[in-house]
Amino acid sequence: MSARFADVHVGDELPALSRTVTREDVRAYANASGDQNPLHQDDDVARMVGFDGIIAHGMFTMGHLGACVAGWAGDPANIARLSAQFRAPVFMGEEIVAGGRVRSMDEPSRTVIAELWVTVERDGRPEFAIRKGEAEVRFPR
Amino acid sequence: MQASAGSVRRVNPAAEGKTYEQVAFEISEERVRAFQELFGGPPGVPPTFLTAAEFTVFPQVIGDPELGLDFTRVVHGTQEYVFHRPLRIGETLRVQPRIASIRHKGGNGFMVIETQMRGVDDRVAAVARSTMIERESAT
Repeated sequence: MSARFADVHVGDELPALSRTVTREDVRAYANASGDQNPLHQDDDVARMVGFDGIIAHGMFTMGHLGACVAGWAGDPANIARLSAQFRAPVFMGEEIVAGGRVRSMDEPSRTVIAELWVTVERDGRPEFAIRKGEAEVRFPR
Repeated sequence: MQASAGSVRRVNPAAEGKTYEQVAFEISEERVRAFQELFGGPPGVPPTFLTAAEFTVFPQVIGDPELGLDFTRVVHGTQEYVFHRPLRIGETLRVQPRIASIRHKGGNGFMVIETQMRGVDDRVAAVARSTMIERESAT
């Protein structure tokens, strides 16, 4: 359900969006994006650089965050800016949860700035896969 | 795998400001659909779709001997997309990367690649900024 500018307030949370990351999805993302780095496809390569197995592309996690923001904005064309900082790696089978909160609003330009994050639960605690993300959304009249 | 400390390859700060060849990239319906099927969300060009445009030009940058980047030690630090107008399915963008900055801090190299995407009217439609971190060691 997308938001209406008239109903948005500072401090509002964007509806959280979760998904489980699978090997098939990460392979499909490699093909869709063109990022064929073997770190995301070959467990042996991932182990060589110190991970337990392949990790999702940072941009896979950000793609999921983008869907969360676009759903709230109603139309991807309303997104003027989207940014993210990549922190913890995401492994296969893990659940990622994208979310955000409205930080500021400008009434005349109908622009909203939201801070964004993606968490992954590890050992019973949420860790940030993405933090300090930001979106600038302009709601049309 | 790891080279001894004295011989670790480092991304070359002298490459700061370098621009690379422009490449045409079509926002094809098929490719947009692949993103939509993976991530869902409302119709239109998904906000991270331009990563596919960046990956048409990154091979030039990654493979540039003057830059001297060791891609096996690279992780993605930050990503930003700025849209100056909505993107249209079916349009062709001219995509050109530039090394916006290279810094070394605590043994790691930080490189910002700024990729401009121009429409047929020659105006900038969108800009992508990727910070790549070349880590001192693999782990």
